[in-house]
Amino acid sequence: MTVKTKNVLVNMSGLSKIFPNGTTAVKDVNLEIKEGEFICFVGPSGCGKSTIFKMITGLEDHTNGELEIFGHSPDEARKQNEVAFVFQDHTLLPWKNVRDNVALPLQLKGVSKKERYAEAERVLELVGLAHTTTMLPRELSGGMKMRVSIARALVTRPRLLLMDEPFGALDEITRQSLQEELLNIWQKDSSMTVLFITHNVFEAVYLSSKVAVMTPGPGKISSNIEVPYAYPRGDQFRTTPEFGELVGDVSKVLDH
Amino acid sequence: MSMKNPALSTSLIKEKKWSFDIQTILFSLLKKVSLPILVFVVFVGGWELFCRATGIAHYILPAPSDIYLAAVANSENLLGAMFVTISSALMGFIMSVVLGISGAVLLASSKVIEKALYPYVVLLQTIPIIAIAPIIVIWFGAGTNAIVIIAFLIGFFPMLSNTLVGLNSTDSNLRNLFSLYNASKFQTMWRLRLPAALPYIVAGLKISCTLATIGVIAGEYIAGIGGGRGGLGYAITVAASNIQTAYLFACGLAASVLGIGFFLIINYISKLLLSSWHESEMDQQ
Repeated sequence: MTVKTKNVLVNMSGLSKIFPNGTTAVKDVNLEIKEGEFICFVGPSGCGKSTIFKMITGLEDHTNGELEIFGHSPDEARKQNEVAFVFQDHTLLPWKNVRDNVALPLQLKGVSKKERYAEAERVLELVGLAHTTTMLPRELSGGMKMRVSIARALVTRPRLLLMDEPFGALDEITRQSLQEELLNIWQKDSSMTVLFITHNVFEAVYLSSKVAVMTPGPGKISSNIEVPYAYPRGDQFRTTPEFGELVGDVSKVLDH
Repeated sequence: MSMKNPALSTSLIKEKKWSFDIQTILFSLLKKVSLPILVFVVFVGGWELFCRATGIAHYILPAPSDIYLAAVANSENLLGAMFVTISSALMGFIMSVVLGISGAVLLASSKVIEKALYPYVVLLQTIPIIAIAPIIVIWFGAGTNAIVIIAFLIGFFPMLSNTLVGLNSTDSNLRNLFSLYNASKFQTMWRLRLPAALPYIVAGLKISCTLATIGVIAGEYIAGIGGGRGGLGYAITVAASNIQTAYLFACGLAASVLGIGFFLIINYISKLLLSSWHESEMDQQ
């Protein structure tokens, strides 16, 4: 087992977001995320999971409280290219082939073609899609598109990877193999921190070192549940009594 | 021996299959075009018979054979006029594409500019071209300049509004992706919004190219010859004033051939532009 916890990466204290029309999307969120953690945000729709993500990336401003990423404001952190994002939708550009899609973040940064192609091929290897470089997105299956999307997020070697329900639209079999791959990638890079949104309690418990359970009206973190099991967990973890117990704990908070 | 035989038989099968494919293709093509051709033959034949049977005056309704003879007799004039018309249409079309797309990029890059200018663009479009054509002739003189500008004005608006809608309907997740990776406004326009708007731009191209041909003929009607060689619109006015009805029909046919040809070329180009990724131009399978 590797001990991965180190310095504080993201610090939220008293974080709130009130929209101009008066609705409170997120209220008084306190959370400390350490380097190398894998945290799942689980909760029903409308509990502010995505809003928290948007605030971390600086796409939305927070209205109250504090939010620091590597000791910087969200905007500064994003400008350093150390935060990457995977959406529920694969968001690949249909007119670019797989390699160009994966290399896009580097292209926008102005990295030379040779360099960004080398990086793209490195991450495509990582997600097992080295053979698809010149294919167009429409030639790939849903699971492969999501792998390409993950490869694109990894291409900038981010310290913080945000994933907003990335496997929500996939079938259960594809989903489980992608969960496995994601954990493998995360374990290889001990400094990468993953924040992962899902509304699937099983997925949350299986993946994360800590589950942040969120409840709506107004959106807040009701409970932080540690998952004290070593990685790699393997499929047999899904059937242990401890797994069932943790799923029960999370569900209890959600039902409350 | 035993190795050779299977190879031989597969090549035989392949050949058979190939010739069979040619047959089916020819057959399906025949099925596709035979009915329209039949209708064409019946229509033209009926027209010819009607003219001969009733002995109707040639200057009122010329028979198809008269139209053919008039076209052959005036072929040099007709081809010259077609050439003049298509070159003006092409120039007007290119102008409307270039200025339409750049105008849309300008409007789309700032909400303030769009709000300030778009109503006037719409207003400009609602003025019938016939109403302002004389002003254009006064400003630019009778002849090619005025004709090209009329064609441009007709094709400009569909190009601009289509491109603008396309630029403004970029998927919001993709835009978020670009801002997440700190893309500049120029990068977002050039690498995301313009390529994503391509299907809309192509729809605009198809509308504008047909309108450009119509615009040129209307322009030639109004702005005339102006020193240079006349186009189809001019030939039509001359033929009409001389009551050369058969030639008039030939000019009309030539105009529609031009319009269809222009459209087919643009259609082909748009297929090339989009076929690799957009569903509207993919081969149905």
